[in-house]
Amino acid sequence: MKLQPYSEAFERFAATLSDSERSTRGRQLQRFLTLGFPSKREEDWRYTDLSPLADKTFGLANEFGARADLKTIDGTERLVFVDGRFDPTHSSAAQFHGELPTIETPAADGLLALNAAFAASGLNLQLAANEHLDAPLHVLFLGSGDAAATMSHQRHRIVLGAGASATVILEFARDSGGERLATHTLDIELGANAQLRLHRLQFERAGANLLTRIDARLARDARLKALCLDAGGGFTRHDFNVSLDGAGADAEVHGLYAPQPRAHVDNHTRIVHAAPHGRSREHFRGIVGERTRAVFSGKVVVQPGAQKTDSEQRIANLLLSKHAEVNAKPDLEIYADDVKCAHGATVGQLDDSALAYLRSRGIDAATAKSLLLRAFAIEILDHVGYAPLRRHIEDILNFPDDPELDALIEAVS
Amino acid sequence: MSKAMLNIKDLHATVDGKEILKGLSFEVKAGEVHAIMGPNGSGKSTLAHVLAGREGYVATAGEVEFDGKDLLTLEPEVRACEGVFLGFQYPVEIPGVSNLTLLKAAINARRKYRGGSEIEASDFLAWIRDRAKIVKIDPKMLSRGVNEGFSGGEKKRNEILQMLILEPRLMILDETDSGLDIDALKIVADGINTLRSPERATVLVTHYQRLLDYVQPDFVHVLARGRIVKSGGPELAQELEQKGYGWLEAA
Ligand SMILES: Nc1ncnc2c1ncn2[C@@H]1O[C@H](COP(=O)(O)OP(=O)(O)O)[C@@H](O)[C@H]1O
Ligand SMILES: [Mg+2]
Repeated sequence: MKLQPYSEAFERFAATLSDSERSTRGRQLQRFLTLGFPSKREEDWRYTDLSPLADKTFGLANEFGARADLKTIDGTERLVFVDGRFDPTHSSAAQFHGELPTIETPAADGLLALNAAFAASGLNLQLAANEHLDAPLHVLFLGSGDAAATMSHQRHRIVLGAGASATVILEFARDSGGERLATHTLDIELGANAQLRLHRLQFERAGANLLTRIDARLARDARLKALCLDAGGGFTRHDFNVSLDGAGADAEVHGLYAPQPRAHVDNHTRIVHAAPHGRSREHFRGIVGERTRAVFSGKVVVQPGAQKTDSEQRIANLLLSKHAEVNAKPDLEIYADDVKCAHGATVGQLDDSALAYLRSRGIDAATAKSLLLRAFAIEILDHVGYAPLRRHIEDILNFPDDPELDALIEAVS
Repeated sequence: MSKAMLNIKDLHATVDGKEILKGLSFEVKAGEVHAIMGPNGSGKSTLAHVLAGREGYVATAGEVEFDGKDLLTLEPEVRACEGVFLGFQYPVEIPGVSNLTLLKAAINARRKYRGGSEIEASDFLAWIRDRAKIVKIDPKMLSRGVNEGFSGGEKKRNEILQMLILEPRLMILDETDSGLDIDALKIVADGINTLRSPERATVLVTHYQRLLDYVQPDFVHVLARGRIVKSGGPELAQELEQKGYGWLEAA
């Protein structure tokens, strides 16, 4: 039978559930079995082929793998998940760990159905009106390093009341182990004038399959500032949907993808302006090297009535190898007449003359190249407002910052 | 003592497969200033880039020795560490890489090449400030991206600043004087003269005689269609200024 390993995994999982949970989730599983994984024939999945996942056997992780090598970020509170399970020992913000979700509504597609059938609890951040989360919340997703192929599926929520504010970092970290499948869904609701800074960092290894989906709804004057970073070696697909429901809502979704060799990174964003005076900014940059594929699809929809919308989308790619592939597609649908919408997508190479100039000054080719790549990436990293997080990212990207030089720049400025 | 620092013998070079330098020879001894003049397209910049080791500029025949070493086999960054400096005719803008980043990396590359340690921050800053004064560049500008938003004159002065900071032994300046007003020209000349010494040599590629009023050359070579067609003393520059380059086209 098709997708049999998934049914079998569900059988074992269902044995641990209450009767009602079992039947609710059983319906979602049936839906997944009927719909299957999205197919390459669908326009949104043209470049990301999930069909190999259908033939694989991923078990649910049995053992709880402890992890000692956590890389924390200064000044943050932490929520840690290992193979999709909550790790209370390493978490300092257990109050934001949600309960087991029940999803009654039939999922919209096979992938969501799979997630709904197996969904484990995840982040649940709910702030009352005008509540302010003092420390950024660092949510870390790790693997146990289990050699067996395992899967995990999680659901997360962020609900900010009117005027509330928070900073959240979702980090899918690097680790070792067997092949892995992880799906995540995150629902975000921002009340009037609420503000969320969200960072999705992905440093997965080869062999990891990571599929995430974020749906955000912004009420009047709400502000979302998101940064998406992909620097891993795995197979990843991210859907990021933002709906500016209230007048004057503001969404910034920026991203940098600099995948490891042989990685696959697919970012699908969709920003819907559904109310007047909304503003959206979307800047993505890609550094795509050896045998790597990057996909970017950025849809912006301005609905009738969303007058005075101010939207800008800029995508720039650096192709470092003949064996690299980028598919970057801006896609605008505008149904209102009094709007300002700009967009542009470029694919280029590293600037040879800049490289030659640096080398002529005595700087070796590798250093010169990394200075230029850093320069290209910096425009996106400048959106990271929290300094310890910026250092954390530059560390992982191997863009070691030079505090001494920063001090010198300070000194002359 | 009389051995040449730079010895170019029958140099042929191609750019994009097209032969530009067609058998070019001259010698530069330590302490000397050589001016290379010639009409547009004669191969002056090509010569400068071949000496600096730019990718795509291929020496197909002949030899170039620098201090007795075969210069042509060295990577461009190694040539720089050996003491070769090229002031670009068209300096490159590099947004996102600050001038200070470039300078610090360049200084430390040289030190590493010679087996030394990295420069102390305070020494670096003091050195930069000292040198910036000579070319009248506000050190504040150096926190910006390399040549980013610099005017034409500022870019040329920035080339001279980098040279003053890195203290090369062979200075190759490709039309650093072009497009400068008289004040900027004097600053550039001051910068070059600051470094002039019995241990250093200078190759001035120039289109105009004007710079040579401020930096006296020992020799002047006229380059046309990839060859040196005439060599002489400073008086040759005067002659070119009067006659123009037209007579070369006919020759
Ligand atoms: N990158 C290049 N590709 C092809 N031809 C070039 C390139 N650079 C220079 N040339 C050609 O080489 C010749 C010499 O150019 P150049 O060395 O720049 O002369 P000059 O500096 O004396 O004006 C010219 O005919 C020019 O068109
Ligand atoms: Mg030239």
